[in-house]
Amino acid sequence: MTAALLAGVTFVAFLILFLAPGDPFAALLGGRTLAGPEREAAYDALGIPRTWYGQYLAWMGNVLHGDFGVSLRTGQPVARELVASGARTLFLTLGSLLVTLAVAIPIGAYAAVRPASRRAWALTMSAYVVSALPTFWLGYLAIYVFTRQLGLFPILSGTGGPQEHAWLYAALPVVLLGLGSGALSEVVRYVREEVARVMAEEYVRTARAKGAALWRHVYKEGLLLPVAEIVASKMPFVLSGAIIVEQVFNWPGLGRLAWQAAQDRDYPVIMAITLAAAVVVRLGSFLHRAVYVAVNPRASHE
Amino acid sequence: MPNAYVQTVDEVSEYSQLSAWRSAGGIDRLYVGYGATVAAIVVLSYILGALKWLPHDPEAMDLGAMMAGPFTGSYLLGTDFLGRDLATRLILGIQAYFLPGLAAIAIALVLGSGLGVAAGYRGGRADAAVTYLAGLIDALPRLVLMLLVIAAFKPQIYTIMIVFGITTAPAIATMVRGKVLMLKSRNFIESAVALGLSPRTIILKHILWYNCRALLLIQATIGMAEAVLLETSLSYLGFGVQEPTPSWGNMIQAGANYLLQGNFWSSTAPALAILATVLGFHLLGDGLNNIFEGKRQR
Amino acid sequence: MSAPPLLGIEDLRTYFYSRVKQAFIRSVDGVDLEVARGETLGIVGESGSGKSVAMLSVMGLVSAAPGVITGRVIFRDERPTELLAGLDRLVTVERRGDRIVSVVKDDRAWQAQAERNLDGVRGGKIAMIFQNPRAALNPFETVGQQIAEAVRLHTGAKHPARAKERALHWLEQVRIDSPRLRYDNHPYGLSGGMCQRAMIAMALAAEPRMLIADEPTTGLDATIQARIVELLADLKARLGMTMVLISHDIGVVGRLADRVAVMYGGRVMESGPAAEVLGGQGDGHPYTGALLASMPREENLQAKGRLPAIEGEVLDTINTPRGCRFRARCQRIHDGVRARCAEAEPPLAEVAPGRRVRCWLHQP
Repeated sequence: MTAALLAGVTFVAFLILFLAPGDPFAALLGGRTLAGPEREAAYDALGIPRTWYGQYLAWMGNVLHGDFGVSLRTGQPVARELVASGARTLFLTLGSLLVTLAVAIPIGAYAAVRPASRRAWALTMSAYVVSALPTFWLGYLAIYVFTRQLGLFPILSGTGGPQEHAWLYAALPVVLLGLGSGALSEVVRYVREEVARVMAEEYVRTARAKGAALWRHVYKEGLLLPVAEIVASKMPFVLSGAIIVEQVFNWPGLGRLAWQAAQDRDYPVIMAITLAAAVVVRLGSFLHRAVYVAVNPRASHE
Repeated sequence: MPNAYVQTVDEVSEYSQLSAWRSAGGIDRLYVGYGATVAAIVVLSYILGALKWLPHDPEAMDLGAMMAGPFTGSYLLGTDFLGRDLATRLILGIQAYFLPGLAAIAIALVLGSGLGVAAGYRGGRADAAVTYLAGLIDALPRLVLMLLVIAAFKPQIYTIMIVFGITTAPAIATMVRGKVLMLKSRNFIESAVALGLSPRTIILKHILWYNCRALLLIQATIGMAEAVLLETSLSYLGFGVQEPTPSWGNMIQAGANYLLQGNFWSSTAPALAILATVLGFHLLGDGLNNIFEGKRQR
Repeated sequence: MSAPPLLGIEDLRTYFYSRVKQAFIRSVDGVDLEVARGETLGIVGESGSGKSVAMLSVMGLVSAAPGVITGRVIFRDERPTELLAGLDRLVTVERRGDRIVSVVKDDRAWQAQAERNLDGVRGGKIAMIFQNPRAALNPFETVGQQIAEAVRLHTGAKHPARAKERALHWLEQVRIDSPRLRYDNHPYGLSGGMCQRAMIAMALAAEPRMLIADEPTTGLDATIQARIVELLADLKARLGMTMVLISHDIGVVGRLADRVAVMYGGRVMESGPAAEVLGGQGDGHPYTGALLASMPREENLQAKGRLPAIEGEVLDTINTPRGCRFRARCQRIHDGVRARCAEAEPPLAEVAPGRRVRCWLHQP
């Protein structure tokens, strides 16, 4: 199923690029605009298949060998840059997910246990407000406050990587993505719903009647499973948010790469990033499934 | 006492829990009220913008009054770094997302309902196809897809919104499919067919209008909020609406440098506009959802 | 009864507040009950009569909906403990005659106080089992683990190996087949009957003074029901358990209970020795008589061909009518008492030693 999905994703992506106006291989032709038989001759010389599905299959074939082609902008192999940037974006993404969970779960759980309290409402509403604010604006505000005014948390400028205290540079982007990716309010809502639902389950009442510690009985269905579900389903959101955050903080990750590629119409790069993004999302799904099977005794028999 | 069955009713004129918030029903009314107000303002501003009934010329630069705060002279909300009136530009910024957003929502709802009904009603291969499609769309982060589209085509806002609509359709399709399956399991559809109703009537009137309209309405509000965020994010990134046409996104981008120097207002005003609008649509959806589902009536 | 009862309930009232209806639902409306050591008290009544809610209120397991619980519940273990102590201070109810005009309740403190009162009692001194045993057991843990948890919490056997030993012992006591195998099963792998046995084992493993069984046989197959009833009878005989058995199934109650209380509309209508109350002599409350007549029992079936149903609908517990609550459905009402039945509610009066009935027909 995963293979079918990934193939589908790349297929659709390729189709979109193919439908685009203009000649995708213009750069390879040295900027000359050729037409008709001349173009076909040039293609043949470069080893490019004639038909669009031929091109797609050729690309897929290369990918399965680890060859993602060469960037139309820099002329460098895509694969190398992809891995480096990908690692940096993954770091950002996972870190921010941790932040989101660390903030949203307590709020959601608190709101479920004390539904009518003023504090719960205030906290929930704060989460909503933070999620509704544009991430990029929040980012600039954060830079102003923490970097300019308070002098903590340096940010990257230019293209050089940080030498020491690398994590300091990451702190601001990670926290900001965690709070502002729009996932925060959804996670709060979801956790609140799930915890409230589980607390009302009959077996929780039995646990109470037994005089047992509540959380021990609630955490599996109320915490572990929802967290796994969240990580899987919010991954796309977070990756989208990463594009914005990398722009604000000059973070050399996949998002910045994608933005650059969109500007330059760098097809090999954008195709590769699309595939990479889809892979990361699928990984999230796998994680979810793994946790589900581990926690739920019935799952391994399904 | 004429009636032997005199009812004794416990009237409670005041029931309060010392640590409780007000009756939850009121909250939802508040949310819907706020959301509806926001929606009304958006529509109104759109009309004003379309008719060009604006306080100032959006491109007129008043070099004598740059970066002015609110209520400076005739500038209700102040000016930006080129002396252009912020209020006018904010109103115009709505043009960037309103109609395209509506288009996107329309596509999403129509396509989504269609696919969902096909999947649930027919089952079998249509169902499998829709599920596969939904999985496909889910596997891709929206912004990445947008960048792909932008790389391929020109960064035209309508193209983007159409893609947005298409990518939201599968999620709606899944929800509608769920509803259809639920109705099926309750033999609702069977009875309708047995009554001799035409499939068109069953689908349009009974399934969609009676049973799905709340769901679709709420998805529409969520969709509008998403559209705002998407459009502003893209114009911030430099795609979408270009200068000098105002968009809340590119206004923030332009004002960013000034923010880093301590001049907040020209980028904060559009940020607040985004906040108020997105929050408004989200709360509208939330409030409606709670009201329709009859929650919180403990 | 020379020894004071193990559990004494005095004027227990549990009212739920409905925001939608802006009124209180009086689920339990003044209930007095006693359970003596070693005896089994059966509580019967239709759904909605308040029998479950009454016991859930005693255990503090009533759902978190806004509401008040008033009255006295005295549990006489080594020392008498009042389970509803201190709660009255946190609620201010203003009454005008029979109507409640306003209620102010400090919910947070109320919950905290209730938890303090019940700490140590719940599970350890009074254990409770429920209907739907499959849903009532934690689906994520094995049956054995759940029983062992009860052992560790409430008995001296804290060491895991020892706790497991005790858990297995109790699984044997409830006559579950292959206890060692079942120990490692999850609830989804057990049948309803086995789950109920496991739940009983879990309750008893804590070695409580008293067991409350809330509809333990409802939802099980008929043959399994009979087996569970036999199990409970067996345990009662061997262990000398004190038990409160709630059921709408009179057959089950008849088999196990020493004394029976009949509830309707949140109140006790009749109480007394089981043989007398359920004997169907016609000297009790009309409601009891109607309940007995509507059951598929030999006597009823042979006489006519149809089972007489109880006319009327279940009592509306918001707008409780004046006079006797059962008046609208009473078959034995006659002109001599009609006026009185409409006028005032009869008290629960003693018509014979140990036997009380709330009916004007039996009172002068």
